[in-house]
Amino acid sequence: MKKLIKAEEIVKVFDQGGESQTVLSHASLDIGEGEFVAVMGPSGSGKSTLLFVLSGMDPADSGTITFDGADLSNMSEDELADLRRTKIGFVFQQPTLLKNLNIIDNILLPSLRDNRKEAKWIKKRAEELMEQMGIGELADREINQVSGGQLQRAGICRALMSGPKIILADEPTGALNSKTAQDIMELFSGINREGTALLLVTHDPRVAARAERVLFMSDGRIVSELKFLARGREALEKNLIKVMEKMNELGI
Amino acid sequence: MFRRIIRNDILKSRTVSFITLVFIAAAAALVSLAALLTVHLTGAIDGLMIQAKTPHFLQMNTGQPNISRLESFAKKNESVTEFQVLEFLNVEGSEIVIGANSLAGSVQDNGFSTQSSSFDYLLSLDGTVIHPSDGELYVPIAYGRDGTAQIGDKAVIHGKQFTVKGFLRDSQMNSLLASSKRFLISEHDYNELKNFGSMEYLVEFRLKNLDDLGAFETAYINEGLEANGPTVTYPLFKMMNAVSDGLMIAVILLVSALVVLIAFLCIRFTLLEKMEEDAREIGVMKAIGLRTLDIKKLYLGKYTALGGAGCIIGGGISLGLSKIALKNIRLTIGDGGNKTLAISLSIIGILLIYLLILVYVSHVLRRFHKISAAQAIRFGGIEETGKRTNRLTLSNNMFLNTNVFLGIKEVFQRKRLYATMLSVVVVSAFIILVPLNLHHTISSPEFGTYMGIGRSDLIIRMQNTSNDDQMVKETVQMLQSDKDVSQYAVLTSKRFTARTITGREEPIKIELGNHSIFPVLYVTGKEPQKQGEIALSVLNAKELKKQVGDIVVLTDHGMETQLVVCGIYSDITNGGKTAKASFVDDSKEALWNTICVKLSQDVSVDKKVGEYGKSLGFAKISGINGYITQTFGPTIRSVGKAAAVGMVAALFMTLLITLLMIKMLLAKERYSIAVMKSVGYTSKDISAQYLSRFLLILTTGVILGTVLANTLGETLAGALIASFGAASFQFVIDPISAYLVTPLLLGGTVLLAAFFGSSGVKNIKISQHIKE
Ligand SMILES: Nc1ncnc2c1ncn2[C@@H]1O[C@H](COP(=O)(O)OP(=O)(O)OP(=O)(O)O)[C@@H](O)[C@H]1O
Ligand SMILES: [Mg+2]
Repeated sequence: MKKLIKAEEIVKVFDQGGESQTVLSHASLDIGEGEFVAVMGPSGSGKSTLLFVLSGMDPADSGTITFDGADLSNMSEDELADLRRTKIGFVFQQPTLLKNLNIIDNILLPSLRDNRKEAKWIKKRAEELMEQMGIGELADREINQVSGGQLQRAGICRALMSGPKIILADEPTGALNSKTAQDIMELFSGINREGTALLLVTHDPRVAARAERVLFMSDGRIVSELKFLARGREALEKNLIKVMEKMNELGI
Repeated sequence: MFRRIIRNDILKSRTVSFITLVFIAAAAALVSLAALLTVHLTGAIDGLMIQAKTPHFLQMNTGQPNISRLESFAKKNESVTEFQVLEFLNVEGSEIVIGANSLAGSVQDNGFSTQSSSFDYLLSLDGTVIHPSDGELYVPIAYGRDGTAQIGDKAVIHGKQFTVKGFLRDSQMNSLLASSKRFLISEHDYNELKNFGSMEYLVEFRLKNLDDLGAFETAYINEGLEANGPTVTYPLFKMMNAVSDGLMIAVILLVSALVVLIAFLCIRFTLLEKMEEDAREIGVMKAIGLRTLDIKKLYLGKYTALGGAGCIIGGGISLGLSKIALKNIRLTIGDGGNKTLAISLSIIGILLIYLLILVYVSHVLRRFHKISAAQAIRFGGIEETGKRTNRLTLSNNMFLNTNVFLGIKEVFQRKRLYATMLSVVVVSAFIILVPLNLHHTISSPEFGTYMGIGRSDLIIRMQNTSNDDQMVKETVQMLQSDKDVSQYAVLTSKRFTARTITGREEPIKIELGNHSIFPVLYVTGKEPQKQGEIALSVLNAKELKKQVGDIVVLTDHGMETQLVVCGIYSDITNGGKTAKASFVDDSKEALWNTICVKLSQDVSVDKKVGEYGKSLGFAKISGINGYITQTFGPTIRSVGKAAAVGMVAALFMTLLITLLMIKMLLAKERYSIAVMKSVGYTSKDISAQYLSRFLLILTTGVILGTVLANTLGETLAGALIASFGAASFQFVIDPISAYLVTPLLLGGTVLLAAFFGSSGVKNIKISQHIKE
């Protein structure tokens, strides 16, 4: 399988009032094209930081990250922004939508930056995506007029608009009730089946069990990895048990 | 606890709090200064006029007055307590040389007097009546202030040596508005000079009671006494003394109003942003049952403290500044004014500012009521008031670049916030453009025609000599034979008597000659072309209550001459009361002759002025530009200064407010910026959004400001000019400076501020503002 992201020996240090804290210490991982990888680990182990660094929102202090063959450390701020806009979709735990734009405008925001000529077509695609995500009716609502789950779906639509190679999702279901969470996970699985890679941080073993691989983080490095040979509905229970066993073993 | 919250809040928004404090302090300082100055000025003027025993009624008269007739009138009239006739020896400016400076270029009528024995004293700077010894010269303080004379200077008047012994205050002619200036010399010196100038007489009265002035004036007029010159009364003297410093006070008050406005903007800004930021907490407080008033107090507390501090600092500053500001009044008019009154008035002014701020703060805080606990806790924000501009959606925007669109949408969505910024740009454009246009107008040649000066190249003036006719003839002959002259017109001013509507007879100066060659601007009608026509200046028309088509009756030589008013024109020369006619009159002596000359093309005016200066020694020659600058020079200069100051102040204000605004916006919108960045917008994109917001405001503001300057500003400037006797004022606008340079300067300032301000966008880290 062709590698989409290749991260080697990444170090990220935060300064906090003179004291420096190593949040990522020589973490290495890679993600293949179209692969679904879950990341688990205790709170504060550096999972969110890893996603920020991999997407070029935060620079690594050392180590190399290649995305689709290009070295992130050689890219300018603007090139990194272009990368995020065209090849990466990001979904956060709290839906990060802009208050002064309505739902559809929030979804259109990244794509309209440079494709103004195709605005009509882009708008149509957004409407299709919203339909798919089950929020087709909400296009013209303000963001304080919809529920948390609906906001999260809108956030996913926005991430998908550019047809990215990968979606980075940081606890996308963390703030949702279990029914909504399950719906959202179904959507993610569907997206993945259509060929988009998925790197998903989660605390929920049932979410992790849907992945192809699960990476376990502790103190800023990948300490363990699970690979599921069998996937699909039937294998879900077995995989879930494996994840739980591993969590117990690592004391998460 | 209150105190801690307030202190933390001020520390957190240090820059903005500091700027607010500065503006409050500045406003307090200016208002208090204005109060101090007003009390001091009125006190000093009263003091000066009491010490100098300024006449209550003054009639200037050229030509020897009939003293015994005046005396018997004074005796007969009950309200008169004192009466005198003073002499004023008018000496040509070029005959007065002080130190290295000649007064040749002076627009004032300079003359010499001896000290009066009973009233209308000329005072020394410490307020005593001066009695000069022989050889000593006392110079009007105006010449001390502008550096023309210094104590100890040697002076030469018509070949006679003097030493400048000191400066004098003249309660009549101190002001630059008074067109004459009195020098003081000893009786003996005066008698020696007496033959070298033209004599004017000051017929002066003091009355028992100033209230009788009106009745006295009528009595004087009805008696048909000397009236060969202007009449000035006590209140007018007072006004003339007050006007220049009074203007300064008015300007200070105006500026302080502006400063208060800016302080308001800062307060509004910080408060709105703070309230939005705290909306969640406010909602929580409401939810747990705190009353709105309690929460309001918290916010009010900050401004009570900030405003208090600002006002105290401002008061201190004004005390410090008052020494400098009062220097001018102290020197020209003297000390005076009730100290306690001055200080209490300035304290009242400061308290007023303080009160205004608190009222404004609680006005802004009314928005508190709009915060609903549920909304605030759920969404952490104040609901926008009014309808959201939902029509402006990205999904419907087919034309604009997305960054530009987002910038514009933001402005329309939060109109009230940006309205403050807009008003600053409007005010800035206004205070740049009005003085600029006014300056350009009054220094333009067109303005001369508004002001009663025809558009010729140079002016030859011959005044008050016995053989005028001969000189005019000689000059005309010379002009006729000069190839460089293309056109000329001889205008002779003579004094006539006109009958007013009430049947009273009034002297009127009429300029006779051909007025079609170098016409002035007529407000209505046109210049006199036929024998029986007369044109009146605006002030004269007003005084005689005549309009175009009315009849003016002259009553000289015991016969009545009827003239039809053919036009009314603006004039500020010769006191603004003039008339023009084309009939011929040989019976009267000319007051003065003016010959206007237009030169052929390519002839240097300056060279010609020099040439004629030599060959026509008896006349005063000036190029038209020189003439205009001399007449309006000080005005042009001060308007020019005002224009420069206005421009600097306006640009500075714009810069400051833009920086302030963008700083606050960035702080508030950190989260949105982080989100934008996370979905792939570059820092440049976001800066472009900010720039388009400010560009939109700038363009709107400059357009509004320009329109306002050309309407309201023109009216204001026109009113100012009209008070000097001109009418139908219109700006002569220099399109390059008004429509190109000014917008560019303002735009440059805003963009510069926005550019530097928005460079902070780069430093906003996504991961720090999107917390997981
Ligand atoms: N901007 C920052 N400055 C300083 N320290 C930071 C910053 N961001 C994160 N940290 C620290 O880095 C460590 C890892 O944070 P990170 O958010 O990556 O953890 P996480 O694994 O995502 O935790 P959680 O599961 O709670 O989301 C934490 O100890 C945190 O205090
Ligand atoms: Mg996290």
